[in-house]
Amino acid sequence: MIPETMRQELQDRISSAITNREAAVDVMKALQTHYGWLTDEAVVEAAGLLGLSPLQVEELATFYEMIYRRPVGRYVIHVCDSISCWSMGGESLLRQIAGLLKVTVGATTPDGLFTLLPCCCLGNCGQAPAMMIGNSIYGGVTSLEKATDILHQHRRNT
Amino acid sequence: MEQILFQHNKPGRCVTFAEYQTEGGFTALKKALAAMTPDEVQQVVIDSGLRGRGGAGFPTGKKWSFVPRNLPGPRWLICNCDEMEPGTYKDRILLEANPYSLIEGITLACYAIGVRHAFIFIRRGYEQAAANLQRAISEAAAAGLLGENILGSGFDCAIDVHVSAGRYICGEETALMNALEGKRANPRAKPPFPAIKGLWGGPTVVNNVESLANIPYIIANGPAWFKATAATPEAAGMKLFCISGHVTHPACFELPLGMKLGDIIGGPCGGMRPGSSFKACLPGGASTPYFTADHWNIPMDFDPVAKAGSRLGTGGIVVFDHKTCMVAATLNLVRFYARESCGWCTPCREGLPFVVNLLETIESGQGSDEHIEILREHIKYLNYAFCALAPGAMGPVDGLLRHFEDEIREHNRNGKCPCRS
Amino acid sequence: MPKLIIDDITVEVAEGTTLLEAAQSVDIPIPHFCWHPALGRAGACRVCAVKLLDGPVKGIQMSCMLPAQEGMVVSTTDPEAVAMRRHVIEWLMINHPHDCPVCDEGGECQLQDYTIAGGHGIRRYSGKKRTHVNQYLGPYIEHEMNRCIQCYRCVRYYQEYAGGTDFGVMGSAGRVYFGRFQEGQLESPFSGNLVDICPTGVFTDKTARFRARYWDYDMAPSVCPGCSLGCNTTPVARYRELLKTVARRNDAVNGWFICDRGRFANSAVNAPLRPRHAVVDSRESCVEDALDTLLLRIHALGELHGPGSIAVVGSSRMAQEAAELLPQLALRIAAGALCYRTTRKESTETSSFVELVHTGSSASQQDVRKSDCIVVYGCDPLNEAPMMAMAIRQAWRSGATVYVIEHKITLPCEFTLRATLDDVPLAEAERPVIICNLSAETDQLDKLLEGHSRLKIAPLFPAANSFGTALLMREHGAISLEEALADGEIKGIISIEADIPAALLGKIPFVAALDWQATATVQAAQIVIPTTAWVEMNGSYINYEGRAQHFSKVMNPGVPVKGLDPAGHPPHIHRSTATGGEALPARQLLARLIKLLDDGNRGLS
Repeated sequence: MIPETMRQELQDRISSAITNREAAVDVMKALQTHYGWLTDEAVVEAAGLLGLSPLQVEELATFYEMIYRRPVGRYVIHVCDSISCWSMGGESLLRQIAGLLKVTVGATTPDGLFTLLPCCCLGNCGQAPAMMIGNSIYGGVTSLEKATDILHQHRRNT
Repeated sequence: MEQILFQHNKPGRCVTFAEYQTEGGFTALKKALAAMTPDEVQQVVIDSGLRGRGGAGFPTGKKWSFVPRNLPGPRWLICNCDEMEPGTYKDRILLEANPYSLIEGITLACYAIGVRHAFIFIRRGYEQAAANLQRAISEAAAAGLLGENILGSGFDCAIDVHVSAGRYICGEETALMNALEGKRANPRAKPPFPAIKGLWGGPTVVNNVESLANIPYIIANGPAWFKATAATPEAAGMKLFCISGHVTHPACFELPLGMKLGDIIGGPCGGMRPGSSFKACLPGGASTPYFTADHWNIPMDFDPVAKAGSRLGTGGIVVFDHKTCMVAATLNLVRFYARESCGWCTPCREGLPFVVNLLETIESGQGSDEHIEILREHIKYLNYAFCALAPGAMGPVDGLLRHFEDEIREHNRNGKCPCRS
Repeated sequence: MPKLIIDDITVEVAEGTTLLEAAQSVDIPIPHFCWHPALGRAGACRVCAVKLLDGPVKGIQMSCMLPAQEGMVVSTTDPEAVAMRRHVIEWLMINHPHDCPVCDEGGECQLQDYTIAGGHGIRRYSGKKRTHVNQYLGPYIEHEMNRCIQCYRCVRYYQEYAGGTDFGVMGSAGRVYFGRFQEGQLESPFSGNLVDICPTGVFTDKTARFRARYWDYDMAPSVCPGCSLGCNTTPVARYRELLKTVARRNDAVNGWFICDRGRFANSAVNAPLRPRHAVVDSRESCVEDALDTLLLRIHALGELHGPGSIAVVGSSRMAQEAAELLPQLALRIAAGALCYRTTRKESTETSSFVELVHTGSSASQQDVRKSDCIVVYGCDPLNEAPMMAMAIRQAWRSGATVYVIEHKITLPCEFTLRATLDDVPLAEAERPVIICNLSAETDQLDKLLEGHSRLKIAPLFPAANSFGTALLMREHGAISLEEALADGEIKGIISIEADIPAALLGKIPFVAALDWQATATVQAAQIVIPTTAWVEMNGSYINYEGRAQHFSKVMNPGVPVKGLDPAGHPPHIHRSTATGGEALPARQLLARLIKLLDDGNRGLS
C-alpha cells in the first residue's frame, strides 16, 4: 500500500493529464521508486489509480527498459553496452563489475544492494564507457579502481 | 569560431535565466510576438534552410507548413528529446548547459503553428536536463514568457516535460506519440501523417531539440545570417556534432554544417588517439553506413553525406581505429537494434535476430560465403519493415558489406577474427 | 472508383479499398496474417507484400496497407514480392515450432499453408528457438505461446473489437507475449473468437483439442440456436459427437464472430441422457410402434373425453419447418388447442412484437453496427443476446452515442443514462436504433416508429425461433398452454420440443413428448419419440428481425462413438442406423403422424 500523501500526489498528476493514460509512465515510476521495483501489488495499484486494468498497466510496464518487473537491488547498475562504450571497453567494464560484485549479469548481490544490468546507450558517449546507478551517470569508467570507488561510494551511503 | 547554441555556455554549469536574458535571450520571442505574424515566423524558418537535426533532415519550416491552418480542435508540438541513438548525446550537452534556447524556440514554434500546448519528450537518464527544463519553464512562466497571454500578445502557450521510461523506439515520432498518450510505443501507420492526425488525433509537429533551439537565433538574426554560418554555400547553419570513440578529445562541438569529416576529427577532436589510426566511423549515429578514410573530405552536411552513401543522421560520429573488428562493431550495433525492436513487425522482430546470428557466426570464425549472401538478402528485405528501425539497423551492415567485405571473408577464411591476437 | 491492374486483370474498386481486398475481389489470394476484415490493417506481419510496377506508387508495398489508386499496376507474382513473402515466412519459422503433427491447429493453420506455399523448407538460422511459458486461460481456451507469430490479431480483437481489458500484449522485441496479467479464465464473453482469428495454434478450443483433424470434420453451415439473433455458425462434429462450433461470416448478421455462450454449447447435443430411442409407458420401443400407440391413445382420449381434449404444444425452439406442421396435426386430431407458448404472458408479448417488427422496421445486427444513435431500452443485451452487445460496441467505436434507459446493466462500451425514451434526441440521429425485449410497451414503440421515419427497432426475443412461431400463432389463433388448460377440458398433450413447467405438467394426465433433450416433459411423458438436434437436420429459424435462415445437417444422430461401451464397439449387431440413431427431425415425425392419420382415416374429425 502506498501512503495517502503519495496517492493524493499521483491522483493530482493524473487529473492534470490530458488523459489518464498520459500519466501512466509517471505513476509507474513513482510506484517503482516507492517499492524499489514495480511489484505485482504496484501494478494493481497503478491500475486502480489510472482507471486501467492491471493487464493494461502490465502492457506498458513490460515495454520499458527502466521499469523493473522483478525484484532489484537497492542500486541498479546499468552498464552501457552500445557502440561508443563498446569501442572503449564497455564489455570489460561489465565483466569487471560482475567480478567485483561476484554476480552474473542480471543478478542481484546477496546483500540486496546491487543489481547489474546491461543497458542501451546512456547518451554519455563522449565519456565512454559509461554506467548509470539510480539517476547518476558515471563516465570514463576505464579502470577497475574507478569502478571500485563508485561502488564503494554507494556502499557507504547505505 | 562563432557559436550559436553554445554561445551562452558557462564552464562547468548551466547558464542562469538572468544571464540568458542579459545576453539577448528571449529577444526573438519578444520580436516575434510584437511584430511578426505566425506565418512570417514560419517563412523566416523556411527561408533559413534549417533542416531537422534529429536524423532525417526534413526542412523544419516546411514541416510546420503541413499543419492545416483552420482545423478545429487542439493541435500539438512535441519536442523530441528521446535521444537514444547510440553515439548521440548532443541534446543532453545542450540542455545541461542551456535549456532556455529550447524553451524560447518551442514557444516561437508554437506561435508559428498555432499550438497552445507543447510537450518535451525526454529520455530516461537525462534527469539533469529534465530538471533544467522544468526550472526554465517555471522561470519563463514566472516572467510572463510562457503561460497565458504571453507578453500581453494574447498568445497562450504551455510546455510539459514527459520523462520516458526508456525505449529507443520512442524516438520514432509516431511511436513517441503513442508513448506520450500512455500506450505501447509501437509506431503508427503513415498516412495519416502527424501534421494531419497525430497526438490524440490532432495535428502534431514533432521537432528535435536542436532544431527548435536554433529557432530564436534564426528569428533574431534572420535567415541569411543563419545560412551563412555553415561551411558550404549549400548547407545552412551550425550543427552539434558529438564525437565518440577512438579520438583524442571525444566531445560535443558546435561546428558549421558542411565541415569536412577529416577537419572535424583532425581539428576539435584532436585527431586519433596516440598510437592509433583511423579505420572507419559511423558518421551520424548507430544507423548510418560506415565512412572510411576514403570519406575524409566529405562535407558533413545532409546531401553530401547521402551522396557518399551514408546519412548525416544525428551528427553523432563514432570513430573506430585500426584495431577495431568491423564485424564485431556491426554485431554490437545490430544487437542493439534487435533488442530495441518494439516487436510489432516481422522483419524487425525476427529478421534482426537472424542478422545477429549471422554476424555472430561470422565473427566467431564459423561463417562462410553463404552467410554473406544471406546478409545481403537481409539488407534488401529488412527495408520493407513497418518503420525505419530495421532499415536503419541495416545501415551499418550495408556499410560493412560495401567497405569491409574483405574483412568478413578473412574471418571466414581464417576461422577466426583477424583483429584478435 | 479507382481502376487498376492486378496480375494483368483490370479491377475497379470502391475508394479506400486496399490492394489486398481489390485482389481478393478478383480471386487473387494474397497471403496475410495480421490483416483481418473485421480488424482492419495493422501492417505488422509484412507477408502480403506485392510489387507495384507502375502508377502513383512503385516498388514493394504491403497490400493490406495501401489503398487502391487509379493507374496502379500490381504484381503479386513478381520475383521480388515472392522473395519478400518467403523471407517473412522464414523469419516467422525461426521461432515457430516444427511440429505440425502434434499441433491441434495442424491442417487448418494459415502459417502451415503459407510455409508450404512459400516454399520455405530449409532452415538457415542456426540459433535456438525462443520459448515461452503458457498460461491457464480457463476451461475453454488453450494457450500455446511458442506457436505465436505476433500478428497482433488476438489483442486487436480482444481489446479493440470486443472491449476486453484482461488480455493483451506484454514485453517488446522478440519477447512480446500475448496473455493475461495473471493466469485465469478470460473475462470477455466473446473470448472464444480468439480461436477463430488466431492464424496459428496459439489459441485452440480446449473442449475439442486433438479430437479430429480438419479434413475429418463433419461440418455444414448452421445457425446458433442460443438466442433470437440467429448468428451464423459452423458446427464441427466427428464420430457423432459435436466437437466445437466456429463463427461463420455473415455481414448482415453476426459479422465474423459469435459469443462464447453460443460457441461452447456442445454439451446438450452430446448429453448421455438424451432420448435416443422411442419409449412407450417406460418401455423401450421403436419409432413406428410409438407412433401407432400415440394414434391409439389420441383416439382413446377422444372417445373418453370427447373431441377437443387434446392440445398440440410446440415451442419457440422448434425449427420453422416442424412448427408449420403443428396446425395441420391439430386440425387432423381436432385438437382442443394449438399452443406455441406455455404461459399467457409469453404468448401475448410475442404476438404484439411480431406486429411491430412486421412493419419493416427491424434493425439487423449490421444496422446496429452502423447506427449513430442506439437506445438500449429495458433489456440487457450482454445477457439476453450477447452479440447484440458486441454490435452496440462496434457502433460506439465508430462514434455512435449509446443511451441506456434507466436500467442497471453493463455494456462493452461507454453509454449515457436517460430516464425515459423521450429524453433521447432520436430526431437528431441519422440511423437510430432502439434495442428492447418483449417487456417493452409496443404502443409506445409504435408511436415512436410513426414519429421517426429513420428509426429501427431490434426486439430481443427469448429463443431462436420465437419470431417464426409467433407468426404461426397469429395466423392460426394459437393460445398459450396455460390458457388451454384453464377450463380443464384438455386431458392430454402432444408436446413437440416444448419446455413445460412442472405446475402445468401436473394438470395433464396424458403427455406424449417429441424431443431431443431430456426435459421434464420428456421425463413425465408416457410416450417419448426422439427428435434430432438442429445440427442433425436441415431446417430454418426466423430471427428477431424476421430473417429466415437455413441451417444444414452437420452430423448423423446417434450415440457418440466416444460414449459407447468399448466392449460393444464396433457394434456386433448390424443395423442400418447407428446406435441411438433412430431420432428423426420433428418435421418428419409430424409428417408421418399426419400421413398415418390421413391414411388410416383414424383422425377424430
